[in-house]
Amino acid sequence: MKVPVKWLNEFIDTGLSPAELAHRLTMAGLEAEKITTIGAEWDKVFVGYVESVARHPDADRLVLATVDAGEHRLTVVTGAPNIAEGQLVPLALAGARLIDGHSEGQVYKTLKPGMIRGVRSEGMVCSEKELGLSDEHEGILVLEETAPKGAPLVEWLGDTVIEFEITPNLVHDFSILGIAREASALTDRPLTLPPSFDLDRAPVAAEDLVTIEAPDLCARYVAVVIEGVNVGPSPAWMQRRLLAAGVRPINTSVDVTNYVMLEYGQPMHAFDADQLAGGRIIVRRARPGETIETIDHQQRELTREMLLIADAERPIGVAGVMGGTNTEVNDATTRIVLESANFDMTSIRAAARALKLRTDASARFERGLDPNLAREAAARATRLLLELSPGATVTAVADVYPRPRLPRPISLPFSEIERLLGIRFASAQVLEVLQRLGFAPRLEGEGDAMVLHVTVPTWRSDVTLGADIVEEVARIIGYDVLPERLPTGQTAPVHRDPVFALQRQIRSLLTGAGAWETITYVAVGEEDLRRLHPEGALETGLHEVDADALVRMRNPLQADRDILRPTLLPSLLHIAAENLKHERGVRLFELARLYLPGEGELPREVNGLAILLAGARNPLSRFTAGSEQEGDLDFFDLKGMIETMLSRLGVECATFQRIAFAPLHPGRVAGLFIGDRRIGILGELRPDRAAAFGIEAPRVAVAEIDIDALRAAAHPVPADVRVPRFLPVEQDFAIVVTEETPASEVEAALRAGAGPLATAVTLFDVYRGPQIGESRKSLAYRVTFTAPDRALTDTELGKVRDRIARTLRKRVGGELRA
Amino acid sequence: MATMTAQETIDDIRQRALAQLDAAATLDEAIAWEREFLGSRGEVTLFLRGLSALPPEERPVAGRGGNALKQELGAAWERRHAELASADLERRLADDAVDVTLPGRPTDLGAAHPVSEMIDELSEIFALLGFQTVFGPEVETAHYNFDQLNIPSEHPARDVWDTIHVDLPGEIVLRTHTSPMQARVMEQTEPPVRVVVPGRVYRYEAQDASHEWMFHQLEGLAVDRNITMADLKGTLAEMARQLFGAERRIRFRCDFFPFVEPGVDFAVDCALCSGKGCRVCKGSGWLEMGGAGMVHPNVLRAVGYDPEVYSGFAFGLGVERLVMMRSGVDDLRAFAGNDLRFLRQFARAA
Repeated sequence: MKVPVKWLNEFIDTGLSPAELAHRLTMAGLEAEKITTIGAEWDKVFVGYVESVARHPDADRLVLATVDAGEHRLTVVTGAPNIAEGQLVPLALAGARLIDGHSEGQVYKTLKPGMIRGVRSEGMVCSEKELGLSDEHEGILVLEETAPKGAPLVEWLGDTVIEFEITPNLVHDFSILGIAREASALTDRPLTLPPSFDLDRAPVAAEDLVTIEAPDLCARYVAVVIEGVNVGPSPAWMQRRLLAAGVRPINTSVDVTNYVMLEYGQPMHAFDADQLAGGRIIVRRARPGETIETIDHQQRELTREMLLIADAERPIGVAGVMGGTNTEVNDATTRIVLESANFDMTSIRAAARALKLRTDASARFERGLDPNLAREAAARATRLLLELSPGATVTAVADVYPRPRLPRPISLPFSEIERLLGIRFASAQVLEVLQRLGFAPRLEGEGDAMVLHVTVPTWRSDVTLGADIVEEVARIIGYDVLPERLPTGQTAPVHRDPVFALQRQIRSLLTGAGAWETITYVAVGEEDLRRLHPEGALETGLHEVDADALVRMRNPLQADRDILRPTLLPSLLHIAAENLKHERGVRLFELARLYLPGEGELPREVNGLAILLAGARNPLSRFTAGSEQEGDLDFFDLKGMIETMLSRLGVECATFQRIAFAPLHPGRVAGLFIGDRRIGILGELRPDRAAAFGIEAPRVAVAEIDIDALRAAAHPVPADVRVPRFLPVEQDFAIVVTEETPASEVEAALRAGAGPLATAVTLFDVYRGPQIGESRKSLAYRVTFTAPDRALTDTELGKVRDRIARTLRKRVGGELRA
Repeated sequence: MATMTAQETIDDIRQRALAQLDAAATLDEAIAWEREFLGSRGEVTLFLRGLSALPPEERPVAGRGGNALKQELGAAWERRHAELASADLERRLADDAVDVTLPGRPTDLGAAHPVSEMIDELSEIFALLGFQTVFGPEVETAHYNFDQLNIPSEHPARDVWDTIHVDLPGEIVLRTHTSPMQARVMEQTEPPVRVVVPGRVYRYEAQDASHEWMFHQLEGLAVDRNITMADLKGTLAEMARQLFGAERRIRFRCDFFPFVEPGVDFAVDCALCSGKGCRVCKGSGWLEMGGAGMVHPNVLRAVGYDPEVYSGFAFGLGVERLVMMRSGVDDLRAFAGNDLRFLRQFARAA
């Protein structure tokens, strides 16, 4: 809400600069978002008196005006059609910074004297646009006769506008009066109300002028009938204030209702009384099928929940939202009905939402206005309308207010202030602050039993509880006085979140292994999933995902990304594609939730881990260029990383098995299993799938792991750690098996044969060649044998070797090479 | 050639041997010398072995002289060998020298995302203050996201959170804040409660340099008898000092959040200018960190806590915002961009 400070000063003289005032209000809960100065650029613009206007010798459309601004008397050449002798006008001298009237928007230029069609122009008379007051550039701005000739224009027209952000709980502050009240409480300076018309002196309207048929939605309706109004442009001062407050001037009738809405926060509407069928106003719910054309010339379909203003025959306005064209005030109007009413906040909010029509009026009503405001505002508006239409009279006043709202009493223990704030204020200070806010406070009792009774004015609908009173006290005194302490008392029981702990371990392991953590958007599009699965089911490799059961957003930011991802891979692939535009290679991972259909009302959120490796294995360096290591990241880099991670997490029972998963290379894809349960997939993306994400790297290795499942298999710290006392014995075993025998089975057989003495088994070579025959391979393992309690003997190891040979032969048909 | 006496032979060998040893320039030459004179077929060895062939009267003199020679040459050889070995080692070391200004073998480390790093740091700070870190669902019911937080559906306060709705029966939303966990935690525990809740939150908000539809918050909640706003101020001040320096100050400003009363937003004085006003704090001297206040009586009542017995404070802050404040990042979108050139700049041991 924009508040012109000169306007505010009519209500209160705070004695503060606009910046200080804005700061004080901000700290008390009325946040000043912006302070703008009208006229900040006007240091070379003065109030000038047009002494004479003469024809330009060489141009029909231009005139020479001699303008006197006290110290400066200039002749200017102007094309302004409205300039005339005797006017007071803004006169800009050479060097003034003005907005270019002929450019779109606000383009500043500096005024220079110049020759216009052979006549020298020393300065310029300005339009509103050139001064930055409005977009008006048809003619020059003509000032009121009372403007001080020769004075800097900023003294006459300059102002400061403070723009406040009004939080949704505050309705009383949604007006100049409300802000003045706050300022009054903060500065302890008195409030002055502007002049109003005494409605009590006006004739009471016939009983059927206003009928409220929906008293649940309309607490009060004040109607003032005024005759002899003169509908035309408002005076310049009113227009300027409206503009400064961000409201476009229209005509006297509309401008006065807007002006008073800004002043008091009470939205009002003026109907053309001669257009009211039956001369009546009826407040009722809409009937099925009713429509209305609102003054923005939109045809609106009304529903039964909407509150209407109607005459005897038809809707004439959507209550609290917008009036109808059928009774709109125009230049020919002479008799108006001024409406100042109170409507139910919930109903207005629903109507504004349903009609997608949020207006200044609805924004105020939906916060819950004080019905006691309606008559005060009507009295103020009436006064202004009469001022602007000399000779107009109030012919009738109706005020339907069946159940007046009374001030609310709140009682709280005085100690509540200290209990919530942690600081004790003197009772006198508390009473004074509340009084300054317009509350009626009273203390009862003594010491710990002292009770604070507060009567809350009806404009403070936001204050309903003891805690609200505590806040009022704190914000006016200021939070800076609060001491800093730490909570004392019993601490809460200790609980380490196991998933968080696991995620931190994984993060630490993977970053140590050279991978970078990413955090990506949770939304994917069906197109992203189709990049992985051009056809067929949208499986993730981990979870069954039915395309119809994907969790979707109703109002996604991007219409084509409406799925809450069931897999992290597409997001990571997009990030990889972007990074590979400037990186040799990437190692990325993300720890995030997957969203799967749930059994209850919420989806199932699974904690996932995705890893992606692509591009060069090593950074460019003199050590790797041209050497063996200068290769691309592949399946085994990924698998190694995962194996190390699993080992460090104490996951001992995991196995890797060949599986089928459509988006991955059919020969380089594995499932990560705990027992029979697949908890992860890893492999290289098919090149055509990688290309669908715009990745050209020859190999893109990806993995996705369900870490909730992983957690169940992780054993953090072993319970039987021993210090080795005997030297280990290492022996190599070259095992020849058929080509199709999986290495994992060979190793399993080797371990089974070796028994518990084998403390480490490492595959160090895979050999194929003529010596071992067609379709066969030789796997070379180094086995480390250690016994905890003795040095191993050759005899003992010989027996183990025999057992290994037997087991290999039996389980995988393997032969030991000598 | 006249036959030499034994003594003459000894003198001759000594003279040649010592001269030759002196001339040995390399370790190999020294080893060859040792073989030539002291080896099993060396001159000294042969001389000593030939003693028996000498006339008996010469034998004692020749024997003593020969053994003395053997010892003398042995000692000389040890000395010379050590000299040459040492010179040889120095030479090999000199040959092995490198340009120490050449870059080392790269150790390729990754790093945590700055947002996770900040969450870890906050979690640790609050753990020291007795707060447990807990997590909640990101897809949430309107009941927890709004109703339990004193944000009724018909109230304009609901509009403050531009909400992304999830296409499921009932009113299901992407949580707009981490606050729903306030009610979830309190429903499951008796006071005292001290938790922080980090996590992703979502808003229906067009993206620009300071707005994102997905970001992270950290919620804090402490409920007990006698929890006050002074405790809140002290707790937040401790956090700010841990993050931004020991001399930092916290400022409260009255603000409205439906689930707290009194409600404030809290700011920390700008570390760059110490509150004097600069580019980073846009001249105000203060940087807004988040919202906070005393848990609203309606929120306590909704979870079955008696607001006349228990009081509590709650706060929420934007994690990205803290990273931006600390590292001067000026575009919120960079966090979800995950450009490695951006992420690398945060890679420091925490």
